[in-house]
Order: sequence, then C-alpha cells, then structure tokens
Amino acid sequence: MSDAWSYRSGAWFAVFGTEAAIVLPETQKDQVVGLWALVDGGAGFDEVLDGLLASGLSRIPGFVLVSNGEGPTRFLLRGTGVVATVTAAGETVTVDGGASHTWVERSLDDVTALSIGLPAGEHETGAADVDFPIVTGLVRVGRIDRPAAAPVAEPAADMVAEPVAEPAEEPVMEPVMEPVMEPVMEPPAAEMAPMVGGAHLAAEEPAPLDEPSPLDDRASAVTEAAYLDDGPATEVMETLDETPAEEPESAEEPLAEAPQEPAPDGWVTPWDSPAPPPVGGDAPTTPPVESLDEPATPAVPAPAFPPLGGATEVAPPGWVPPPPPGVPAPEAPDAPPLPIGSWEPVGGVAPPPGPGVEHDGFTVAGAGEPPAPLVQPVPGTPAAPPVTQPVAKLLVSDGQSIIVDRAVLIGRAPEARRFTSTEQPVLVTVPSRLHEISSTHVEVRPGTGADLGTAVVTDMGSTNGTVLVQPGLGPEDLKPGIAVQLIPGATINLGDGITIQVTRP
Amino acid sequence: MNRVELHHGAATDVGLVREVNEDAFLADPPVFVVADGMGGHDRGDIASAYAVEELARLAHGDYGLEEGTAAVDAALQAAQDRLLAYDEEQRAAGAADSFAAGTTVVLALLVQSPDGPHWLLANVGDSRIYRFTEGELEQVSVDHSLVQELVDSGRITPDAAAVHPSRNVVTRALGGAAMPGAVSGAADYYLLPLAAAERLLLCSDGVSGMVDDVTIASTLARYDDPRDAADALVAAAVAAGGHDNATAVVVDVVGLANEDPYDSHAQRLSLEQKLGALP
Repeated sequence: MSDAWSYRSGAWFAVFGTEAAIVLPETQKDQVVGLWALVDGGAGFDEVLDGLLASGLSRIPGFVLVSNGEGPTRFLLRGTGVVATVTAAGETVTVDGGASHTWVERSLDDVTALSIGLPAGEHETGAADVDFPIVTGLVRVGRIDRPAAAPVAEPAADMVAEPVAEPAEEPVMEPVMEPVMEPVMEPPAAEMAPMVGGAHLAAEEPAPLDEPSPLDDRASAVTEAAYLDDGPATEVMETLDETPAEEPESAEEPLAEAPQEPAPDGWVTPWDSPAPPPVGGDAPTTPPVESLDEPATPAVPAPAFPPLGGATEVAPPGWVPPPPPGVPAPEAPDAPPLPIGSWEPVGGVAPPPGPGVEHDGFTVAGAGEPPAPLVQPVPGTPAAPPVTQPVAKLLVSDGQSIIVDRAVLIGRAPEARRFTSTEQPVLVTVPSRLHEISSTHVEVRPGTGADLGTAVVTDMGSTNGTVLVQPGLGPEDLKPGIAVQLIPGATINLGDGITIQVTRP
Repeated sequence: MNRVELHHGAATDVGLVREVNEDAFLADPPVFVVADGMGGHDRGDIASAYAVEELARLAHGDYGLEEGTAAVDAALQAAQDRLLAYDEEQRAAGAADSFAAGTTVVLALLVQSPDGPHWLLANVGDSRIYRFTEGELEQVSVDHSLVQELVDSGRITPDAAAVHPSRNVVTRALGGAAMPGAVSGAADYYLLPLAAAERLLLCSDGVSGMVDDVTIASTLARYDDPRDAADALVAAAVAAGGHDNATAVVVDVVGLANEDPYDSHAQRLSLEQKLGALP
C-alpha cells in the first residue's frame, strides 16, 4: 500500500518518516524533536520505540507508532481516546489504545486502510475537517489516515484562488503556529494543500530550529554529567581558598590546651582523662529543635542531656522510628508528642523495653531499618552463603574471562560500595590508556525478579558512557544507574578499545 | 605483591562536655579502627575496647581480598559475641534487663588482590570514613543512622540532616542485637584501590558532627604529616564545642606512585587551561 499519509490538524504531534510514523500528545513536545531526528533519519519501528521509551513509558500518556515500510503493518496505541480503525484483508476492526495499561499492539497483513483518531487537545477549537496529504515531516494533527484521504475540494480551491496571499487566514494555521519545525514536504505533495503549511511556516517562523531544542538540553545534560565527578572538588577547592584566613586559630589554638597527648601507635581506651569543669551547667549541646519536615518526630523541647558530672543519666527524647522504606508514612503529624523515653511501635512490633541506649549520653541506638540478615540468631553459627548460580560469562577484549555469579565491577580502577560480607563483589581492572574508561565504569550482576537467571548490566555513571549491542538490536547507550538485561551474544563497549562479550557461563 | 608504605597518625579527646572518653582507636598496619562506644561509663568504653581488641588481631597480617573480608567479619562477630556475653554477665550481677553495651565501628584494612593493593573499609553505625585525594574530600561510608535513612528516602536534605533533632539516632551498632529496637550489627563494606585514596580519615561523630566537611577538607589539606592532621582535626572538634568524644585516625598512602588521577579531573583542568581560567 502507499506510504502516503494524510492528516487533519489538531493538538497532537505527528512525525512521518519513511520507515515509521509516530504520534505524541502535545505534552511530549520535548521528545518530539529528538524523535523527529530519529524518524527522519530513517529509523525503523523498533528503533523509534526504543527512543520513545528511553525516558520511561509512564511519563508518556499516549502515543501511536506505525510501521511504514515493507511487510505487515505494525502499530502500537496507548492512551484513552486513541483509536485506530484498520481495514485489513477486507475486514475492518477498531483498536482502542485505552484498552491496556501499557499499550495495544497489532501486526496485520494486507492493510488497505488505516485511520487513527486522537482525542482533542485542551485548547483546541473546532478542528477543520480538511485532509492534508503528507509523506514525511512533522505536523500537528488530530487524526491521520493512510492511504491519504482524497483531498477535499475546498482547500484545493482556496489554494487555487489565493495561492499564498493570505495564508494566515487559513483555519489550519492555528495548530501550525506552534514554533515547531516546518514539515518536510516531498515533491509529490508539493502542489497539494500542505504547501500552505510549509510556505506559511517558512515565512512566519524562519528559524524555529535555532531555539534551544531538547537535543541541546540533552547535550548540556551530558556535559553536566561529565562534570559531576568534579562537583565536590570544585566546592572544596573554592572554599579552601576562602577559609584559611580564619581557620588556623580555631584549629591550632585548642591544640595547645588539649589535655591529652596524641596517642602513640596502638590502641588506647582513655577513660582516665578528667572532664573539664561544666560550663554553665546547662546543656550546651542542645541541637536546633527545628523538626524540618520529618513529621514523625514529635516536637520535643530542648532534649535533656545528662547533667554534667552527675551520675544519673536522663533518658533521651522519645522519637518515632520511621516507617519502613516503601511503605507510605502513616500521616500522624498531629499526634500528641510522646512522653520522654517512650516508643511508638511500627507495624505491630511490641514497644522495646526501654528508651534508646545512650551513646556518650548523646547518640541513641534505635531501629530505623529491618535487622540485616547478617545478624545471626544464634551467635557463632556461620552465615549461609548466598546461593548464586553463574548466569553469564564475560570475555573482556584484553583477555580476561569472568564468571558472573555475583556483582562484577569493571573499570579503570574499580571501587565497590556498600556490600555485605556475604556478597563480595568482583573487581575487574581493564587498561585504559586514553582514560576514556571511568574508574568504576559498569556493573554486571545476576538479575533479580523478572531478570532472574540472566545477567544485568548497569552503567555506574561513567564519564564517557557505555554502548550495549544486543543480538538483533541496534546499539544502545546505557542510562546511568538503569540495569539492562543481557542476552548471550551481547557486546558491552566501554571505550578505549575495551569491549566485553557476554556468553553463556 | 606490591609493597605499600603507610604513614598514619591518630588523636582522641574526651571533649569539653563528656566525663569519660568512650571512643577507642587502633592504628597498627594494616588495620586502622575507630570505635565510638555507647551507653555511658562502663558500657561504651568497654564496648569500644572490645571491638578494638578483636580487630587488633588482624594487625601484622597479610590478607587477600576475600580472606580479609572474612577476617573482619569474624572479628566483628567476635566483638558482638563478647558484648552480648558481657550484657548477660552484668544482668546476672544485678544490672537492669535493658542493660546493653554497644559501639559503632569504622575500620580500614589493607588487602592484596590480583589487581594490586586495596583498602577494605567497613562501618557499623555513624562513625565515618572519608578519603582525601587530590584535594577532594569524599565521605566513603554511609551512616547507619535515622537521618541518613531520611536523606536516602528523600524526606530531608543532607544539609537538614546535619541539624536534625534525631541526628543522634544510629540504626546499627555492635552489640545492637540486644538493644531496644533490635538494631543490627551488620557491617557495610567498601573496596577502594589504594591509588584512589591517598589519605583516609576514620573518625567518630564527635569529629564529623562538630566540624563540617569543608573544615575537614581544609585541615587535611593543610597538614602533610598525618599525625598533625589527626591532632588538628580533634582540636578543631574540641574548639567547635567539644560536645562529644572526638577521635580521628589519618592514614596516608606513601610509596605508591599515583599515576592514575581522575580522568574527569584531568580533562577539566585541561579545559580550564585552554579557556584561560588557569595559567
């Protein structure tokens, strides 16, 4: 069937390319330019879908994606009111994009007619029922049809009557006024109505592309990311330049008065140093009572600290353990403050026997998280090693071969963060003469949940990024911190000539 | 095996407010420890002493990566067991049922791996490990504290955490199993290549809670000798009010050529030079 489309004006963005066409609601303006670049570059159905979903499905309320090339017609619909009417092999069916939480997908052979209706936008006035043919380009639409609906006589007559004289009067101008970009019209459509849109846009908004586009934003985000590593350094160094004038006094003066000599090598537990005379007798350590926005903490007046030099210890202020992560906090900000030293159980746990244990009379211990599995119920019992099967083997281009049965951190000088003694990571150092590889570049670990039994790869916020090529799929730039499932045969490219082949273990 | 030369310094001070110094430390290559006891006289100081005693058994050994982790884990478990036994003993001798000695621990152990020497770092509680490399200060350990959980869950900002009324509540500690709320004694581990940590700072919250990161960084930058740096940090904590026992252990890696500076750092410097921001 013909690749030519026609559209009616509306609030949605439609990008027509040689291989695929995509329609997005007006809220997705920031994505449209990037996708146009993709679609206009000849990207196929799958590639456009990848690009579309790169930022996450949940933030896209609706879309339509249709394959434009050879083979069966594939289309995806998402969103209420997004309705496709398809005539395939003589039968006409209607598909509603609101029928699924994710999207509705169909692949049909011998499609002779495809019409997709879109819900009207918020500010849309009565859309003109005029069909404009289009082959490739970016336009605002309320409905699209393939093959192109027969041009309605009226606009054509309009065109003939007043060629380009008063394009601003055209009712279809409204949606096109948006400083998007001019539709790229192919020669066959040149004498048709859309020429109005094109000519008009070219005249009125000659340089919409000069505006900062999402592409530029993305570029600057990349730049920012590249500087992230340096953020703290900059801060510290700048402050260093400013503070020294004052610092030495505070740092050195007390040194002379320090009651103790610095301890020599070896450990000491100095408990014989006399406490200095109390200063004022009041609690000088009163922390600001600002409760900030932690609703669970009852407003406590200045916490009572142990009297200096006294033998009695005062219970620390009561506090409410936070709800476990992930569980919505029970909204009880108005609950009366708990008496000093009392506890409020969380999740039906019986209140502990007493107040928190004092920590130099200052810090208290309290439950804030479920006890970690490392604490053995019976002291002395060895912890059971975690049962992990090898899920993949990594062949690094410098000759190393690593079995993935635990977290594997790969980089120029990899570091491991916050692991427990039972799940030690493997550190794999790879050469990087040009320093294109970050110190900790990627992590490969056995997947959990839906990825169970396979390996997943995560870019650890590398400076220069990671490119993943999976069998049957195009190259993919890993998003920092987002784990991607690995298929045997995949290749992870770290840059600097280092690639990692993923095979079965 | 790479030979590594370490220089180190340590200092502790009871502070201006506390009666007893319940902190304990150890600086005996290849192991460095700061423990901050909790629970008042005869509890905190005993607890931190137990932790340091058990970890002191690691001194003068050579450890591979895995055996190092196992050895640290065993030492922490031994300290935990001793603390629980001590609690039993005290209760048998007439102490209250809620008697529980506890301590936070941070430690650094030098381990060897096929890729060269590494720092195996561990923490339980809110004592901290920082690294200071090429003028940058970075907190490596993540506090086991209530405010850290609030920060992690996005409910408060890190700045707000520093002045939060509940900032003194730790969620993990050695001996914690017997404590109200059943805080756990599980340690979190970190592994850094030695070249990525020119200088390590291990400190109790009497230092990190009294002195902000900027001051810590400038102090670490000012003193080349780790002994002076440790002294100055503890002195700064006391000068800032000395509300708590303050302990600092500073370890420098010397005799290990650092040919591997951060690429982003190098790139940025070269960019700034190109743009004329630097001579």
